[in-house]
Amino acid sequence: MAASVLCRRLASLSGVLRAISSTKCISPGTSQCGCLLQIANYNPKPLRLNIKDPYIPDKGSEKTPEWQKTTKYDRKLFGRYGSASGVDTAKLWPSQGELETLIAEEKEWHPSLEEILANVAANEKEKAKKRLAREKRIATNMANMPKMVADWRRESRDLKLKKKEEKARRDLLLAEARTRYGYALDPRSAKFQEMLKEIEKDEAKKRKILKRRKKEEERAAATATDAHTADATT
Amino acid sequence: MSVSKTTGGKASDILKTLPRITLANLRPNPGARKTERRRGRGLHGGCKSGRGHKGQRQRGNRPRLGFEGGQTPFYLVIPKYGYNEGHSRRPQYQPLSLKRLQYLIDVGRVDPTHPIDLTQLVNGRGVTVQPLKRDYGVQLVEEGADIFSAKVNIEVQIASEGVIAAVERNGGVITTSFYDPIALGILCKPVPFFLRGQPIPKRMFPGEDMILYYADAKNRGYLADSDQVRQARLELAQKYGYVLPDISKDEVHQMLAKRKDPRQIFFGLAPGWVVNMAEKKILKPTDEKLLRYYNS
Repeated sequence: MAASVLCRRLASLSGVLRAISSTKCISPGTSQCGCLLQIANYNPKPLRLNIKDPYIPDKGSEKTPEWQKTTKYDRKLFGRYGSASGVDTAKLWPSQGELETLIAEEKEWHPSLEEILANVAANEKEKAKKRLAREKRIATNMANMPKMVADWRRESRDLKLKKKEEKARRDLLLAEARTRYGYALDPRSAKFQEMLKEIEKDEAKKRKILKRRKKEEERAAATATDAHTADATT
Repeated sequence: MSVSKTTGGKASDILKTLPRITLANLRPNPGARKTERRRGRGLHGGCKSGRGHKGQRQRGNRPRLGFEGGQTPFYLVIPKYGYNEGHSRRPQYQPLSLKRLQYLIDVGRVDPTHPIDLTQLVNGRGVTVQPLKRDYGVQLVEEGADIFSAKVNIEVQIASEGVIAAVERNGGVITTSFYDPIALGILCKPVPFFLRGQPIPKRMFPGEDMILYYADAKNRGYLADSDQVRQARLELAQKYGYVLPDISKDEVHQMLAKRKDPRQIFFGLAPGWVVNMAEKKILKPTDEKLLRYYNS
């Protein structure tokens, strides 16, 4: 839009412009909007090169600094003065030894495009594999979730019930001790422990008696049935 | 003048008579030592010795830098977290908005009748790229996408989807391409490089972290397949709802079709060539090995 506006403005001024400005004008055909396009002349910084009387260091002289005797400096001289520098153009490129080191370096540090792409693809594949494995694990665990939650609920409920029962029994024991001794007993005291043992013994005895009675009853029932069958057979 | 009778001359005589060099008879070279400056003497001495009046300033026992008198200093208040990790090594891309590009073209500082790459932009003072400050080139920014109306063949380092659409809507061509820091320095400042008289090096491929960007046709990467790029151009035109101008029938088709080789730094100059500014000459290597190295 800006260009088109500008172009219109320029087109109206083009006659004046052509007369007074030193800019070069591109033919209308080349510009996109079918009108005039101006290109500013680029004024590069002048190359301050002393081409008429170049300084070429004397390689044989001892006064010339060492850095002016290097190939790098020779190349620079050639770059500045061209063939006037008297530098052998073959020296501009790396020598055989340097080229070999360059090739070795490239082989070590700069893999080819195919290698890089293959490497990247392998890395991506590895990452995708890891991600898939993780997703799979999460899915299986999520499928197990209801069961696991139910298990946990049941366990916690059982634990609560157990605790409640224990507390009730303890209270009962404490009440028992109170009735026995007439005052509240410390559950850690020796007296209480003794009482506990006694109670346990009593209970064991009761259980034994119960067991025996049960057995006797069973035996009696068995004999009765035996007698009954014997009667029946006779 | 005494004349030595031995063959070695006077120096050897002296060396023979002098004691052996030990730590006891060594001393620093003349001028190697400087006497310590004694404050409080001479013209302005005796008062404060230029250290001002009283306090830590005068006594030189100031607390460490950043210390705020016992309050938790600012540099410890902000927790360390990885947001800025490696910030000093991250590649930077100087922004160039479409608005500014349009301005540069309008005032004639950038010539759209030729392919625009970093050299043109830098020469037109459109952007400043400093490869030594981890700049990796320019990114074309969407600002001014609605007023952008130039037909260009531009090469930048990063471009968003909107920018690509804005350029292609006008019948232009955009490519994103990677330059390693050395190639970037050469591309931004070609003349100082040519004055060095060295052969133009090969452009290196991007690293593993960047190669996917430049191999993607959606980003118009320079490593992408040209058929895929053509497909992506059509898709983008459909997405943004414009009719893609046919480039092949364009009068400036040749200019628009110009693309650099992935190993090439300048248009029209192959790696391995030496450009001489003084004689306006190009020197090309002929050695088999050199050619193989530069063309691989």
